[in-house]
This record gives sequence, C-alpha cells and structure tokens, in this order.
Amino acid sequence: MALLEIDNLVARYGRITALEGISLTVEEGEIVTLIGANGAGKTTTLRAISGLVRPASGAIHFAGRDISRLAPNEIVRAGISHSPEGRHVFPRMTVRENLELGAYTRTSKAEIAEDTARVLEIFPRLGERFEQKAGTMSGGEQQMLAIARAMMSRPRVLLLDEPSLGLSPKLVQTIFAVIRDINARGTTILLIEQNARQALAVAARGYVLEVGTIVHSGPAADLAASEAVRAAYLGGAA
Amino acid sequence: MHFDPTLFAQQLINGLSLGGIYALIALGYTMVYGIIELINFAHGDVYTLGTFFSLAILTLLGVTGVVTGPMLIVVVAVTILGAMILCGLTGVIIERLAYRRLRNAPKLAPLITAIGMSFILENLMLYWKGPSPIPFPAVIPNPEFTLGAVTIQAKQVMVILLAIVLMVVLQAFVYNTKLGKAMRATAQDKDAAQLMGININTTIALTFLIGSALAGAAGFVSGVYYGSTWFFNGFGAGLKAFTAAVLGGIGNLAGAMLGGFLIGLIEAMTTQFIGDQWSNVVVFSVLVIVLIFRPSGLLGEALPNKV
Ligand SMILES: Nc1ncnc2c1ncn2[C@@H]1O[C@H](COP(=O)(O)OP(=O)(O)OP(=O)(O)O)[C@@H](O)[C@H]1O
Ligand SMILES: [Mg+2]
Repeated sequence: MALLEIDNLVARYGRITALEGISLTVEEGEIVTLIGANGAGKTTTLRAISGLVRPASGAIHFAGRDISRLAPNEIVRAGISHSPEGRHVFPRMTVRENLELGAYTRTSKAEIAEDTARVLEIFPRLGERFEQKAGTMSGGEQQMLAIARAMMSRPRVLLLDEPSLGLSPKLVQTIFAVIRDINARGTTILLIEQNARQALAVAARGYVLEVGTIVHSGPAADLAASEAVRAAYLGGAA
Repeated sequence: MHFDPTLFAQQLINGLSLGGIYALIALGYTMVYGIIELINFAHGDVYTLGTFFSLAILTLLGVTGVVTGPMLIVVVAVTILGAMILCGLTGVIIERLAYRRLRNAPKLAPLITAIGMSFILENLMLYWKGPSPIPFPAVIPNPEFTLGAVTIQAKQVMVILLAIVLMVVLQAFVYNTKLGKAMRATAQDKDAAQLMGININTTIALTFLIGSALAGAAGFVSGVYYGSTWFFNGFGAGLKAFTAAVLGGIGNLAGAMLGGFLIGLIEAMTTQFIGDQWSNVVVFSVLVIVLIFRPSGLLGEALPNKV
C-alpha cells in the first residue's frame, strides 16, 4: 500500500467543481509531481490532503488511515506538512518564531534545536535574517522560510505548492537542489510546479491535471518525453 | 475657565482610574478584533455581566459593605476570580453559539449577530435585576491619601494597579507562551496556523475566554469604584472602551491600554476644565483627529500589529 493514496477525490467550491474525481498515489520515499495549467486543481488537491478543503466525496489514505475527515491540525500530527502556495509566512513574526511554529506539534526541545540547525544549514540566509520579521523579507527569502518551516514538523510527507514561483533562476536551482536533498534524507515529497520541466527532472513519477481531471500519469521521464505533455506544458517540441 | 495645577493633578488621578476600567474592557475588543476581525458589540454587556456576577458572588459570601482584615483579600480574590471565570465562560459560549458558524460568512453577518447578542445579554440582565440602578457594596476600605492638595483614594490605586498587573500578565502570556504564540499565528494567518498544527477553534475560544475574563475583572472594580451598576451599564462604557481600542490601534494590546488611559484622562480633564456635557464631544473629536493623521491608531502599524 502506498504511503499516500487518493481515491476518486471530488472537491467543490460552492457550485464550482474543482476536482472531478482524481486518484493518485505517492510511495514512501518518492518525489511525485503534479503539473497542470492555472486553475487545473493542483492547489485544491494539496488543500484537500491537508484538510483545509473538505472533500465532497472520495477517500484520502495516509499510512493506511483515512484522513479525509480529520481536522488540519490532526493531519499535521499524523505526519503531513504543507508549504502552501503564496508562502503564507507569519508576516509580523520573526524567522525564529516562524520556525518555532513549524515545530508546534513537537515537544522535544533537543530535536527541535537539531532541526533548526539543519534548516539553517540548508538555507544560510535564514540564519542571517533570524530575528527579522518575515513580512519584511524578500519573496525568495519568504519562500525559503515557508519550506524550512514546513520541514520543522519532521513530516513523513512534504507537500510543496509552487516552491519556485517568482524566484530568480539561480534561486530556482537552489530550491530544486534542496528538494532533492530533503528527499534524499528520507522525506516523501508531493510537488506542484508550473515549472514542469524542472519538476519532471527531479520527480520519479508525475501526474498531469487538466480542469479537475488527471489526463496523464507515469514515470517522470516518460511524461517529459511524451508529445502531448511536451506540447502543452514544456513549451512545445524542443 | 482658568487653569489650576492642583485640580489638574487631581483629575490626572481620577482620569487614570477611569481609564484603567476602559483599558481592561478595551483589551477584549482589541483581542477579538485581532483574531477574527469582529467588533464584538456584546463585549460591553459582558462587562456589565461582570458587575452582576460580582454582585451575586458578594451576596453569596454575605458581603454587604466594607470588609477588613485578612478576609478582605479572600473576598476580593474570590470575587474577581469568580467574575473572571464566569465572564470568560460567557464569552466562550457566545463565540461557540453565535460567531463560530459565521466565521466564513460575509463580514456583516457576524457584526449584526454581535449587535443581537448585545440585546440578548442586556435583556437577560434587565430580567435578572430590573431596570433600576443597583447598589454595589463598597467592599474595600477606602482611606484617602493626600499628596499636597491632591487626594488619592485606595480604590483608585486598586483600579490602576489591577489594570497594569493584568496587562503585564497578558503581554507575558501572548508573547512568551506557546498558546500565546498560537494566538498570534491565528490572528495573522488562519490557514497557515492550521498547517502548523494549531487548532484554531481552541485558539479563538481561548481569545474570547481571556478577553471576556478581563471584562469580568473590570466589572468588579467598576462596581466598587462607582458603587452601583445597572443592566445598561455596558453601553456607554463599551462604546468608550471600543473607542479606546481604535484610538490605540485596534488589534494592538499596548494600544488598547494606552487608548483606555488616554480616554479616561480626556474625559476627566474635560469634565473639570470645560464641562461635563462636553466630554463625549471632546473624546470623539480626539478620536477623529488622531485617525485623520494616523488611520491605524496611535500604536497600530500599517500592517496592524494584531494580538
Ligand atoms: N476559494 C475558492 N472559491 C471558489 N473557487 C475556487 C476557490 N479556490 C479555487 N477555486 C477554483 O477551483 C479551481 C481550481 O483551483 P486551484 O487553485 O486548485 O488551481 P491550481 O491548479 O492550483 O491553479 P494555479 O496554477 O493557478 O495555482 C479553479 O477554477 C479556481 O477558480
Ligand atoms: Mg495553485
């Protein structure tokens, strides 16, 4: 059984159906990417997994347990962490306080200190800005903080919603290197990206979402090579 | 009108004690606004309930006048704590019954509901104690100290001290504890707070508990200070306290405190040097002038520094 398993998930906003029954799986240790055009339902999928959107129907199993009716705070405790679209750092709190909140569900001071040291090693910039209010930092710095904060709960699965959005090409490279690194240290990752080429390069498998329905899926390399995916998401046959 | 420094000093004391009561009430307005962006119109009535609960507890304890000796400490502690707990629970129940289901509704819905809640509480209190002013026992001996020509009453010192002590405790809680941090996170970004593992229902209920408990404390001290209460007490005081919260920068704890003391001072000074009937005019004129130059209030930031 896969670590994360979504079965026939339907999600609605009022009368708008954002997901029309999607199914996907993420195996322990994998990086899986979900790509698709604007409004396809990628963010909604992640929000349904973390409990911020109530599924209209369908099931979400995590480590064998149905989490589709749990509250978001219980889902975090179960081992899923979510770095949301648009970063959502706490603007009037310092980097330190944001990271402390990332570890909200944990109690061991020693382990928290260890993980703080680890994320500061991955993102040295955050260490330089440790006592700065997050709202006054640059977009790239806030994105690093959002990812670092999500890591602070020591999740089994990390959900990343467009972590490279709005970053300089150099920072995009850094972020993808970090994603590989986090994964290499044992965290399973479900990654949403506009940057499909990069996402397929780092992921083992991928799913392509079009207006609420999964239209392609398979090993990332196959998707990257597929004519249909190349035409729609990789800027044509290259 | 001529200026007399002794009268000024005297009104400084009077204004600060009046302001201490406003400040305690203003904290509840500002905390609730900070966390769910609701002007909780029922908050002034929770404060009145604080006076009613205090009165009920004093009656249970058999207190009808001044208490002396060690019993004084027991009576004051039991009454304040009792009023704080009962008001705190009232706040939690109001949030649970009325505001929680409207959390994602358009802003006007909870606002109208809050006004309705205010009417409900006022009418419950009208039913409980009738329409007339009710005498409130003096409870504490009230020796007067004189500093030159200025007299300071013990109960004035009590109001000011209690307001400051509760404010310091609140600041310490909000800035130095895990739950306080959860409250601030919830105020700043509810989705993100949930993604951290914070139960925002609990956190919001806690905010109502604390804000309403502070109104309960204010209820006890105002009963002692004025020597009476009535069901409609919270309307005027609530309006002043809300003004204090806006003046200081709504959502900001220190701002509510500053605003409360300022409004108490303005009211006392106006009453002394201009005339009783002008006090509301001056209070609201100051509010308007401050908001013209600092739309987010005295201590509010452009990004308001909520809770
Ligand atoms: N809060 C909301 N209320 C109403 N409709 C919404 C809401 N959030 C999303 N939608 C709609 O649901 C659909 C899916 O949105 P979603 O945000 O999941 O897309 P996405 O794939 O993440 O897009 P993007 O690449 O632009 O981030 C869209 O049609 C969107 O308009
Ligand atoms: Mg999205």
